[in-house]
Amino acid sequence: MSPVIDVCTLDELPPGATRIVEWEDLEIGLFNCKGEILAIEDRCSHDNGTLAEGEVDEDKCTVECPRHGSLFDLRTGRPLTLPAYVPVEAFAVRVEGDMIKVEVE
Amino acid sequence: MAATPEKQLTPEESALKTLGSDYTERYGFHDAENYLFKAPKGLTRELVEKISEFKGEPEWMLEFRLKSLAHFEARAMPTWGSPMLGEVDFDDIHYFVRASERSERSWDDVPEDVKKTFDRLGIPEAERKFLAGVGAQYESESVYHQVNEQLEAQGVLFMDMDTALKEHPDLVQEYIGTLIPPNDNKLASLNSAVWSGGSFVYVPPGVHVEMPLQAYFRINTENMGQFERTIIIADEGSYVHYVEGCTAPTYSSDSLHSAVVELFAKPGARIRYTTVQNWSNNVFNLVTKRARADADATVEWVDCNLGSKLTMKYPSVYLMGERAHGEILSIAFAGKGQHQDAGGKIIHAAPNTTSNIFAKSISKDGGRSSYRGLLEVAKGAHGSKSKVVCDALLLDPESRSDTYPTIRIGEDDVDVGHEATVSKVGEEQLFYLQSHGIDEEEASKLIVNGFIEPIVKELPMEYAVEMNRLIELQMEGSIG
Repeated sequence: MSPVIDVCTLDELPPGATRIVEWEDLEIGLFNCKGEILAIEDRCSHDNGTLAEGEVDEDKCTVECPRHGSLFDLRTGRPLTLPAYVPVEAFAVRVEGDMIKVEVE
Repeated sequence: MAATPEKQLTPEESALKTLGSDYTERYGFHDAENYLFKAPKGLTRELVEKISEFKGEPEWMLEFRLKSLAHFEARAMPTWGSPMLGEVDFDDIHYFVRASERSERSWDDVPEDVKKTFDRLGIPEAERKFLAGVGAQYESESVYHQVNEQLEAQGVLFMDMDTALKEHPDLVQEYIGTLIPPNDNKLASLNSAVWSGGSFVYVPPGVHVEMPLQAYFRINTENMGQFERTIIIADEGSYVHYVEGCTAPTYSSDSLHSAVVELFAKPGARIRYTTVQNWSNNVFNLVTKRARADADATVEWVDCNLGSKLTMKYPSVYLMGERAHGEILSIAFAGKGQHQDAGGKIIHAAPNTTSNIFAKSISKDGGRSSYRGLLEVAKGAHGSKSKVVCDALLLDPESRSDTYPTIRIGEDDVDVGHEATVSKVGEEQLFYLQSHGIDEEEASKLIVNGFIEPIVKELPMEYAVEMNRLIELQMEGSIG
């Protein structure tokens, strides 16, 4: 079974908010897209920049890498535009009570 | 002695007859400025809004522009490339100049003075002879666009981008900025904020456009910025060859050309994109060009850079589908005061993909040419093959050539080769030719022509002739 980590409460990640969490040597970007909590690896596959600091489109559930503008699908981790072409990892998220939990493997 | 009878000239010879006329005479002239609108120098939010309003654009495009402007303002100028980059003064540029009401479909309707310019450059004649379609852009906007009726009946779209945004907004929205996002680099941000003109091409599945489509870009105003945006979509199994040429008057102060070009080759399609860049030596040419090749598709960039003060341009191909093929053929000629920083990038992102980069550069009279390239094979792109060859020819001790190749290989089962040579025109080669009765200047030209011949032969005949002529002009040291 995949390890599951507690990240924060729902209050701490309201709609439109993002947060970066660390687990071992992994950095995970957490996004609240109009109530849907999504988690992807916080590392652009193009040149390793952070994604969670990029602009989020809550309607399309995408984030734009602040370094070179690649758009990533927050649900799948797939890049929708170049220059990135390799998907980043997407993690399963569940909410138990008001706690947000992420399956990290 | 009896007079020699006039020899019948071949087309190549007739084209070469004009040799000796210099750049200023052939391309460097400028017209009087009878413009409908000429923006004052400098880039502001108001100007971006005005461009969008002038063009009657949808709201999403205005947002695209304004967001791009914010990216442009936030980004620093690249610190790599050429030291000349620091000379670009973004406040000293006219970002938008409108020369004509609209893009005409009949040559007769193009404004008289603009028409004269293109007549002088030989564009209508070329269209009659061997082109399937022609676009002509003067300053910021297209003044003429025409496509062969037969191709139009087959569903081929060839129009300027402003018209495409009006007539096919969904297609433009689907593709624009997906290969080169507005925040890709500072110059792409700038283009995305103030883009105007450029070509939009769509070729339906299975349609082969046998004759090239051509676009001709002309800057007339001093301190002008030209920012065309081009999208070419070759649908499944189709083929298109697009050729672009560019010139500008010779001025003492600088202009800026910063285009963005995105090519989409769908499965089994082939796109060839040929550039003969001959800007005057006061133009900064800072261009982003990127292509995506799906399974079994081919993209070829044939990139000839002769003019400009500084060119920084590295056309790229992302091989995204299995067995896709990418090819980059690049020629750069750097004369006095010029820096040609050119090259290419190939990214193998799928298995069994193949690519070639052949780059040739010539430096003369203290000119500097650089090859800058990237070859990347992603993890999983097994069975990929690539060959990179870059050759530099130095014509004198004052000139300079640099090579900056980057190779990243993430897979074991690949076949990658890289070769680079730098050579000088040797005394021995010159002596050998001179011993056959050829004078020194002619001998140097022969050596240069032999050096670039493998790439020039890939050009359509008319362009090969033009290319040879331009090289001859460069060799005579008469440009600029």
